[in-house]
Amino acid sequence: MADLAGIDWAVAAVLLPLIGAMACFAVPRAAATIGLAAVAVTGAAALALGLQVAAEGALTVPLGGWGAPLGIDLRADGLSVVMLVMTAGVGLLVSLSALGERDARRRRYFWPLWLLLLTGLNGVYLSGDLFNLYVMIEVISIAAIGLTVLRGNLAALKAGLEYLFASMVGAILFLLAVGLVYLNYGRLDLSGLAGIAGAGDAVLAAVLALTLVGMALKTALFPLHYWLPAAHAGATAPASALLSALVVKASLYIVLRLFQYLVAPSEVMVTLIGALGATAMLWGGIQALRAPRLKLLVAWSTVAQVGLIFVAFARAGADGTAESWKAAALIMLAHALAKAAMFLAAGRIKDEVGHDEIARLDRSPIRPTLAQFTFALAAISLIGLPPTAGFAGKWMLMEGAIAAGYWHWVVVTLVGTLLSVAVFSRVLAGFLRFDRVRGPLGEHQGWALADAPPLVLALGALGLGLIAVQVLAFLEIGAPLGGTTGVWP
Amino acid sequence: MDAMLVFDVALALALVGLAWAVLAAEDLFAAVVLFIVFGLMTALAWVRLAAPDVALAEAAIGAGVTGALLLATLRRIGGAESAETTPRPVLIGVGALAAAVTSGLGAAFLAAPAQGPGLEAAIAANLAASGVEHPVTAVLLNYRAYDTLMEVVVLFAAVVAVWSVAQAPEPATPLLGPLHAGFARVALPAAVVVGAYLLWAGATMPGGAFQGGAVLGAVAILALLARDYVPAPAHRAWARGAFLAGTAVFALVAAGVGFGPRMAFEYPPALAKPLILLIEAVVTLSIAATLAALFFGREPEPLGVEVEARK
Amino acid sequence: MSPDLIYGLAGLAVFGIGFFRALTLAAPLRRVLALKLCAVGASFLLIVAAYRQPPVTADAVPHALVITGIVVMVSAMAVALALIHRIAVLERERSDG
Repeated sequence: MADLAGIDWAVAAVLLPLIGAMACFAVPRAAATIGLAAVAVTGAAALALGLQVAAEGALTVPLGGWGAPLGIDLRADGLSVVMLVMTAGVGLLVSLSALGERDARRRRYFWPLWLLLLTGLNGVYLSGDLFNLYVMIEVISIAAIGLTVLRGNLAALKAGLEYLFASMVGAILFLLAVGLVYLNYGRLDLSGLAGIAGAGDAVLAAVLALTLVGMALKTALFPLHYWLPAAHAGATAPASALLSALVVKASLYIVLRLFQYLVAPSEVMVTLIGALGATAMLWGGIQALRAPRLKLLVAWSTVAQVGLIFVAFARAGADGTAESWKAAALIMLAHALAKAAMFLAAGRIKDEVGHDEIARLDRSPIRPTLAQFTFALAAISLIGLPPTAGFAGKWMLMEGAIAAGYWHWVVVTLVGTLLSVAVFSRVLAGFLRFDRVRGPLGEHQGWALADAPPLVLALGALGLGLIAVQVLAFLEIGAPLGGTTGVWP
Repeated sequence: MDAMLVFDVALALALVGLAWAVLAAEDLFAAVVLFIVFGLMTALAWVRLAAPDVALAEAAIGAGVTGALLLATLRRIGGAESAETTPRPVLIGVGALAAAVTSGLGAAFLAAPAQGPGLEAAIAANLAASGVEHPVTAVLLNYRAYDTLMEVVVLFAAVVAVWSVAQAPEPATPLLGPLHAGFARVALPAAVVVGAYLLWAGATMPGGAFQGGAVLGAVAILALLARDYVPAPAHRAWARGAFLAGTAVFALVAAGVGFGPRMAFEYPPALAKPLILLIEAVVTLSIAATLAALFFGREPEPLGVEVEARK
Repeated sequence: MSPDLIYGLAGLAVFGIGFFRALTLAAPLRRVLALKLCAVGASFLLIVAAYRQPPVTADAVPHALVITGIVVMVSAMAVALALIHRIAVLERERSDG
């Protein structure tokens, strides 16, 4: 795989952020400069890997030269590259918006934690080994918890501890699954397991159940979402953006991959996943309607969107997950861009207005117009209006579900969509009403350079919808989820 | 059938009983002490299952360092607990859930082939090319070195997270009385020797970077307890260097050998042994420093008068 | 009854106890203990998977995995304990004034 001056881009995508994290920690004064450079270089490596995969197809890197099952393989196909590039792009823009942090302690620790998080995320997207996935999700979870509590107040610390406990339970369930797999098959490489795992295997059922519950805990699928709203709403704006846009995606990705490599889920399991997703969509929507604060509303919307992704995975198409995973992946991308934009915009609104109580937003004489515009754009994508990426994903979901005759799932998705319209109208109405303002208005428009990164992200969510066809074609490289061997009864 | 069977059954029952006792203990201090005993019993069970390396790691890190961390936290927050109790229906519901999960796992475990497939043949076949003679070390530092690098990264992430959280100064009382401090002074050099030996032994027999690092970490913890060493803000740069050294050397060697015809992590055969020993040695020191820092629990910031607390 | 069977079941029982208590105990320090017991129970599965009837030597891969798991667990516990400590300090400050 040695390519272009002998650089292995897959390895680089994992080691570059790690080296950056170490440098940031060693030289705290230059942390922001080093950190930003490291994220940019990592993004370049992800792009280079993408070009390589586009030219040569899916590639495998046998680390240490041993090859699976004795060694660990990295594997990059269309899905991994799309996740890597998405992570790098969103990460870079969130990094830019984090440059404005004034608190010295937060400045010092944000960068090493975020780069360690990036190491873990990229590691998950390239991993070809079950136990390696376990180690990588632990890198992610410790870094993510560090980011959750970075604000340092009691509420954030308590939310972080609850998140840590949920995350530890999820990891232990995953470890049990690893144990069962090794006990039965004596190997942990995903590509090797794809060949062995037989249909109707009781052990495999246990493994799938354990990993599904473990990852549902980490990605906050209803009813295991209880930790998410407080954790995501209580963090600083850049940290919330990273947690909601990127961190939950890693465990979703693992669910997609396990169904690819182990076995396609059975009808019962698909229905269960879809039902939980639908409940999450409705419950998250209802809670978002009731949320008193803007950031809490955005956090509950993540619960609803995770539900939508599971509904798409379960029901977008008659061919089961071999087809529907693409709709799920597209909604994951759309959500990453739009949610990062939305959390950053919400943070900007809170900074300018001085609070984020939704009921009082329409009384504020200060209107951070650009941040409000960004919020609205992101809301359009999350609701799923054309031409956004959110629309493209939802369209695939609807089209697939209609083609397969899953009418009640179409209805559920529509109800979820209406709920999100209602949720975001609550906020947007406050932005647009001026009659309740006491005192002069429009003196301070609250524009700043810090409005640029969220705006670019929101425009990205819009633009991604226009190139959805190309993204879908790229996702198919290496045929992820095409080669499942059996169906679990 | 024989005495060993009686021993195994007794030990297994003791483990389950201890696990219950740890979580049922009224007093938190008692719970932690029982937990340390549980860890040592677990190590014993793993020796019985022919896993001496893991037993060493569990005794040193799982029981020893973890126990020290728990006791230190207990001392810092005091034993007071909220009188909150879980309502009975929840207890019954969760109990039923846990029982269902456990019995499902039990069924899956019993259905699995006894002493089924594994990688021992592949390990044995490639051991000569790995650069070390001890299979577990070969797996940790060569075949699955990527995992091990990331494991050191987890430890590094933990110390960053802990430093980012903790700001409170320590209560200014000495942690050990004069008698214990004297013991610590005698024990320190001996423990250093043991730690270094474990590291060196890892190439050929049970032992290695993690066990050696844990023992050296325990040395540092003793030194902290006896106030033979008091972290000062001026030491932060050294501390950062010590945490980073292992990850940095490991990552740079792994990436460095990947330039040219080889893969990342693919040591040239002639250099495999020296490179692995280099990585192990530096990683051991980093693990020791990191574990001690996790025990100390915060960044030594110029906050309070605590630094001058030594009598 | 071979040792792998005995200890495998014991490990699962330890996991079950830890799992039950992790979900029902209120005190955070006790929940940390419960989660650690869970992880030890889960590790037993891997140790048992590595076990071979002597004189055949055990499989070293699961052993390495469990060592990694132990280090990962101590890291997570250290973070949890730091959070618990900081929360206790802040709560004390708040109740003091």
